[in-house]
Parts: sequence; C-alpha cells; structure tokens
Amino acid sequence: MLKKGMDRRSQNMVEEIKSDYKASADLGLKRCMQCGLCTSNCPAAKHSNYDPREMVKMVLDDDQEIKENPDIWNCFYCYTCQSNCPVNNSACQVNQILRETILLEGGNNERIVEFLSYGYSYMDFGVGAIPSDFFDALVKDFGDHYIQLKINLEDIREELGLVDYNLKGESLDEIRNILIESGFKKRLETFQKQGES
Amino acid sequence: MSTNSKTLQITPDADNKGQKTRDYKNKAKKSTKTAGEKVGVFICRCGGNISDKVDIEKLKSSINADFVEDYENLCSLNCRRHIREEVIDQNLDRVVIAACSPLTHLRTFQNYADPLNPYMVEMVNIREQCSWVHSDMEKATPKAIGLTQAGVEKVKKARPLKKIISRTEKSAAIFGGGISGITAALSLANQGLKVTIIEKNPTIGGNMVKIGKVFSPEKLAEECSLCILNPIINDVVNHKNIHIMTKTHLLRAGRRSSYFNLILEKDTSFVHEDRCIACGNCVDVCPVEVPDEWNQKMTMRKAIYKPFSQAVPDVYTIDVENCIKCGKCQKECNMNAIDFSLKSEVISLKAGSVIIATGHESFDLTKRPEYGYERFDDVISQMDLARILGVNGPTLGKLQKISDGKVPKRVVMIQCTGSRDEKTDGKRYCSKVCCMVALKHASIIREKFPETEVVICYTDLRTPGMYENYLRYVQDKGIQLIRGRPGEVSRRNGQLVVRVEDTLQRKPLEIETDMVVLSEAIEPSQGTMDLAKKLNVGLSQDLFIKEKHSKIKPANTDVERIFVCGTAQGPKDITDSVSQANAAAAKVSEQIKCGTEAEPPVAIIKTSRCSHCGKCREICGFKAVYQDEEFMSIDPMACRGCGACAGVCPEDAIEIKGLNDQELYAQIEGLLADKKEGEVRILTFLDNVGYTAADTIGNNRLTYPEAIRIIKIPSINRIMPEHIMFAFNHGADGILMAEYPDECMLEAHKAKIKELSEFVASKGIPADRLRFYKAYAPHYRGLAKQFEDFYKDLSAVEATK
Repeated sequence: MLKKGMDRRSQNMVEEIKSDYKASADLGLKRCMQCGLCTSNCPAAKHSNYDPREMVKMVLDDDQEIKENPDIWNCFYCYTCQSNCPVNNSACQVNQILRETILLEGGNNERIVEFLSYGYSYMDFGVGAIPSDFFDALVKDFGDHYIQLKINLEDIREELGLVDYNLKGESLDEIRNILIESGFKKRLETFQKQGES
Repeated sequence: MSTNSKTLQITPDADNKGQKTRDYKNKAKKSTKTAGEKVGVFICRCGGNISDKVDIEKLKSSINADFVEDYENLCSLNCRRHIREEVIDQNLDRVVIAACSPLTHLRTFQNYADPLNPYMVEMVNIREQCSWVHSDMEKATPKAIGLTQAGVEKVKKARPLKKIISRTEKSAAIFGGGISGITAALSLANQGLKVTIIEKNPTIGGNMVKIGKVFSPEKLAEECSLCILNPIINDVVNHKNIHIMTKTHLLRAGRRSSYFNLILEKDTSFVHEDRCIACGNCVDVCPVEVPDEWNQKMTMRKAIYKPFSQAVPDVYTIDVENCIKCGKCQKECNMNAIDFSLKSEVISLKAGSVIIATGHESFDLTKRPEYGYERFDDVISQMDLARILGVNGPTLGKLQKISDGKVPKRVVMIQCTGSRDEKTDGKRYCSKVCCMVALKHASIIREKFPETEVVICYTDLRTPGMYENYLRYVQDKGIQLIRGRPGEVSRRNGQLVVRVEDTLQRKPLEIETDMVVLSEAIEPSQGTMDLAKKLNVGLSQDLFIKEKHSKIKPANTDVERIFVCGTAQGPKDITDSVSQANAAAAKVSEQIKCGTEAEPPVAIIKTSRCSHCGKCREICGFKAVYQDEEFMSIDPMACRGCGACAGVCPEDAIEIKGLNDQELYAQIEGLLADKKEGEVRILTFLDNVGYTAADTIGNNRLTYPEAIRIIKIPSINRIMPEHIMFAFNHGADGILMAEYPDECMLEAHKAKIKELSEFVASKGIPADRLRFYKAYAPHYRGLAKQFEDFYKDLSAVEATK
C-alpha cells in the first residue's frame, strides 16, 4: 500500500509549512534524517507522549492525522530542538505552524483559551504578561521565590533604576490601534467565542 | 570509372616521375622555402556518406585551389601514401581535408600530410556538418563548396607551429610525512626522483602510528598499524633518494616554468640530529613536564623527548616552547648533541612538483559542550580510546576509565560528533571512517574485555563495500546498535547518562554508562589551509584541498604540477589515502618521464610589451598565469588557449598560438563570401564540447538549416568585439556562441558575454542577433533546436524586409 505521502496532492503539508512566513528561509525540514536528537533533548517528550521526531515524520509523510494528535500541544517552545538539529530543521517551528493551521481550520480552540489573556494584556498594557490563570502553577513550581518577586517587583525595578515597563498614553494607543487594524483583536475575540461555545 | 581506380592513376601521371618515392625531408625543406600559399584540397567521398548528398564533381570544379582531388576513403592507409605523395609532388605547403570531423580524424590527417607541419593542415567537416544534416544535394552541395573554400582561405593564413615541450625538474617536495606522504615519496624515489618530505612535527608517521590498530575488512581482523607502517618508514629513511625534513614548514613559494622555488623554515630543536644517538640520558634529568600529545595528553612527557619509541628520525628533540634552558640535559649528553644557540634555519628548495599530503585534524569536541568532553573525565574521543587500547599507550592496552582506573561495564559510542552537522562549527560532510573506527574499537573491547558492553548510537551506519562484512563480523561479537542521535550526556549520581531516542522503537532512552566515546569528525587542518594559501592552491567549500576534477583528476589540484593525496583532500581511510598517494606519484612521474607536450592553442606573453598589471592572472581560471620574478608567464601545460587573458590585456601583449587572428578573419570571411541576396547566414562559434554536440547531431542524422556555418574555437573568450563586428559587416545575420560552462572559467564567461552584448548594443545591432548557449555534449538535440529557432527568428525578420 502506498504511504499517504506518496499521493501527490497539489501542495502537501511539507510545502505548506516551508512556505509559511513563520518558517526560517533555510528550514531543513526535507533534510530531516529522523535521528531523534530533538526528541532526546525535548522536555515535553520527557514528560509526555509528545515526540517531535515523530511529528516531523508524519509531516514528511503528509499524514493529516498529525493534526488530530493531542500530544503536539505539549510543546512549549523552548527551542532546544531548533538549536540542536544537525540539519537545521526546527521541530518547534513546524509545531507552531501546524498549530496555527489547526486553529485556523477551526479546531482545538479550547487549547488557546487560557492563553487569551496573554493577548489581551497587549491591549491593556502594551506588553505581554503571564496569564493570571498560571499564577498558581508558577507558585507551585517556583515556590515562595515567585510570590516575593511578584510582590516586590516594583521595588526591585526601582532599586535597579529601571523605569515603568507598562506603556502609557500615545504609545499604548498606537499599539492598540495596530492590534485592532491588523485584526489581532478580532482574532482574539473569535477564539474566545469558539472556545466558550 | 570508380574513384578507387582513378586515384590510383594519379601517381604515374604526376610530374616528378620516378623521383617521387623518397627524399621527403629535402623536398619538404624546399617547399617551405618557396613558402607560397600552394593549397591542396583532398576530398573524401566517405563511401557514399558524403558523396550521396554532395555532388563531388561540382564541389571539385568549384574549389579554387592549386590541387583538388577526391578519394573514396581518405582515412584509409592507402590514402596516406596518396596524400604524402601529392604534398611532395605538387609542392603543396598547405592542405585542406574536406571529410569528417577534426575531433576524430585531425591527428590522422596531420600524420598523413607529414612532412608538412601539422598546423598547416585544415579539416573541413562536410560530413557531420553537411551531408549528414542536410536532406538533399541541392542544399548540401553549395554548403560543402562554401565550407571547403573557407577552409582554403583559412589555411592560407596558417603558420607552422611547434608543440611546446614542457620540462619538469626531476624532483618533488612532499608536504606531510603521514602514510599518504611517505607512500608517494617511496613511489617517486623508487622511480629515481629526488624527493624531500617536509613534516612540521618532529617525527614522520602521522596519525597512523598513533591509532594502534587498523581495521581490515578482508581479513576480518584488526591489524597492528605500526607493524604495517614500520617497514615502510624504514624504507623511506634508508632510501638514497629521500630526504626527510622534520619540524619544517613552508614560508613562501615561487612558481617557475619547470619547478617551484620553496623557501622553508626548519625550526630548531636545540639538538644536532647527526650527533644524537637516542640514548635517552637527557630525559631523566629534564625537570619540565608537559602533557604528551602522543598519548592525547593523557600522560606527561619531558621538554626533551622522543615522540614515541619507534620515532623516525630516531633522535631526541626539545620542545622549545616549554624548555627552560636549565642546561641539565646538555651536561648529561655525552655526544655534545645539545646546543641552545642553534637557531631556526631558512632553507631554499627547488622542486619540480609538489604533493600536498598534510592530512587532517580532529574536530574540537569542546565545541559540542552538550556531550561533556573535558567536563567529564570518562567522556573521551575515539582517538583517546585508540591510545588507551594501544599496547604502547597510557594504560598499556588495558581498557580503563580515566576517572578511577576501573574497567568500564558499559561503553556508549556517539557517532557523527561534529560530522553531518549543519550547526555552527559543525561539518556538513560525513567523515567517512568513524563507523569503521567505532566498530574496530567495539571489536577490540568485546574481544579483550568481554565483560564490557558496547552500545553504538548512530544516525546511519555507513559501512560501504567490504566494510559491510566487517560490520557483520563485529555484530557477531555482541554489540548493541541504537538508531538515534544523542542530545546530551549528563552525570547523575556519579554515572554518565546518555539521552537518546531509539527511533526505531519510538522510545526515548536514558542510558546509564561508565564511559562515553565520541566519534570525532575529521576536519581540514590549519596547516593545510596555510600551505594552500602560500601555494595558491584552491580549497573546497569545506576547506579541504580541492581536486581539479573529482572524477577524472582526483590527485591534481587546480595548479599545474601540484598534487594532493590523503585526508588533506577530504575524509578517507588509509586504503583510499594510499591509492590516492600512488595516483599523485604516478602523475608526477608521468610529467617528468614524458617531458609533456603542450599542444596549441596556447597563449604566449610577449614579455617586451607586458606591463605586469596582472589582469591576465586574475582572469585565468586554470591558474596558468603566474609571476616569474618580475615577468608574467604562462604555463603552457595549464593553458587551454581559451584567450580570456588576451581579451583583458591592456597592452595587447598576449598572442594565442594555434588560432591566430588572420585565420579567424579568413574563416569568417570565407564562410560568408558565398552568401546570396535574401539568404540568411548564421555563424556559430563552438568550443570543443559544443563541437562534439554538433557532431552528434550529424551522427544521429538530425537536420538543421544549411544557414548554420560552424567555426571551432577553444572558447568564446577567444572572440573579441572586432571579430563580431567583422562578421556582421561581412554579412552574418546572426551569431551563435555555444560553450560548455566550465566551472573554473564561469566568471570569465560571464564577463565575456557581458562585454560582447554591450558592444553589440553600442553599435546599434539588435540584441537578438547575438546569442549565447550553454552546450552539453549529450544534449545535442538542444543545440539543434537552437539552430532551428535562431534560423526561424532571423528568417522572419528577413521576410519583413
């Protein structure tokens, strides 16, 4: 039986990913030799069933089922795979582009809902802020140190002579306008609606 | 009347009856003295191949020459006599052969026309370019007449030329005293050449002496490398034709017509090599200890030392950088061999040829910090392991962990460390030997230390040819192969941990182990790169010495009389290094033995006009131009006569022997002279490859318009704007130039195309009338289509007039 990758579709997943604006110009996707170095170093692979090598394999085989695979949502973009890959592939970039495709096709929106407040923080403060939903998890991971940092952040920054990092006035307006004009805000709202339904 | 009987009748009818048989030499002299333009035309019917499509009688009667005759098979031995006799009897001093392609038969007819100078023979191709490509006599006959008459006009301008004999000095300098260098040296010395081996280290033998055992796929065993190498080294040392210079490197080099002038520097070792008897008394008293390179810095040596016990030359040497000149060794030496006042020497060496055999270096493993080399004691390289397993190594052959001296229970080898790696500092290529090296060490370990488990983590196992047998042999000894490239080596609870995905099982693993061995990449050495720069030899993209052609000239470099062998040219095993070394030696010897002949076309510099601007040297991709003391010179052996240099010379100081301007103009004019009103004529300039493709069109009996008239040139670089102008002025409707895109001349080609196109534009000639085409010998159909298309386009223009 022929592999799925051998059915010649007009544009397969590999070409779609390679031509995506997010992909590096010299992305070594087609040169992947399945050595598994990415997986051996991948923290997500260590703690879940995510296997970046396998994901790339399925992409190369043009196996659409990869889009149904829940494990690919475990990558958290540490870029270790990208910095180590001997053929200049980046499982991380492949993953990002895959996810975006899936979201645009209307699937898996619930996965992004908890990140939406990160997007909204740009609207509110002009900078990205860690979503408040993650606070408890971070306290659990980093303990008291994290709470202290949160409480004393303003003082620490003042001590170090750093100015306020929140954008204000015109600058903030400008950022908001860009986010509205570029459709970012609309997309956030769409995801929110889909996620809630 | 048959043509054969007719040609036979010619002899008795000729003028000088009875005399015609001998005394060719005198006759020849006489005829050149009268030096006219007495042209004889010999037409071949080619057994119907030509005469079926060309009206030979009409051709004969139309040609304006001093002698015209036709023959059935001009290349037959019988005709050799006819041609020679006519040359003598008719006092011919120029000959036109109207027959087949000069590519196949020019030499034959040059020989047949002897005693005429071979360059006074012109071949007109009325078979491949006429009778085989045109459908009927009406088309082919006039063209054959035109081609032949143009040949007559061209040959009138021919000048007798001599072949250029290039002598090469009967000596060779070989850089590098490893297995490649000494193999080449021995071969040449045995053939009577004076050979100098120049080695930067204090001893010859290179990497091979260090590795202990070599893999042998034939015997399915590991063999002792020193035992194989030692007799060869002894031969080298004792050979009367070989001079070894250790601790020596090249300062600069000058190129001359038949040799290289090498200025070498021999670093001092504070030791009179001729006095030292290698007793070793000096070593005991030396207070300085430094890490020993011989044992990969796993042990210490003194500042005065002999690299290893079988070292050649068998003398002690002082590591000048680390010596504190305390003088203790000097007092201890009974031979008065040590002298701290000894200075480095600068030596001049004349060498006819140079062989680069400077070997390789190992990849710096600290550039892959994730594998922990130098961070963890028990992460070592394959070369480190080779020394550990060597019976003359730091542990006398016992497999031990460096950290605690215990025998490891498990050894994990990581392949492709630094090889097949596109990341920063990584090498994109496969280092070619590491799979076998890992298997060799695995085999030794399993044999001698059966309690130790060996795991090899690989991406692909590359064991080509007979090495596949070796793989199976080692597999039988019980090794574990894991397909996956490890991401990290870490330490947990005193144990090394290798993280790798078993990609065949889709299983991420953490392998606990006592020892990790990294299979380091082979990389080009700094010394090789420095040497290449000084000798002006080209490097490959990966910074190894670039061979002139990877398939057909694997031991030549891009500089004439400089050759390369061994790992200086790229990763390879000992077998391949030795083969290439012998090939390099054969090439050196070939040039010397045969006193090689360069045939025209070649470029010659008129020294009196040369202003030494160096433009010719810059443009020559064959590196044929060099500066000899003050003058620019051209090595006829390297020159292809392409004419690029002549095109850029501001002083008009370069002449191309073999296709002079008068010949070129005469041929252009001749090929256009018979053009009729309303006819379209396309001049086509073809290099050797283009000409071959055109011949192949004929061989395959494809057709193309008879408007196509071909001129054979060494390269489009030979064609100057004035030639183009001349052709257009004399009635050419279109000019097509086709050439094989030779890599080393690409820039010159581009510049030439630009120059000619701009020239044509400046003269207001429509750009479409000058076309360029990349010719490939097998793609003759492409060339035929070019002919067809060009003709169609020009005819359409003509029709609108």
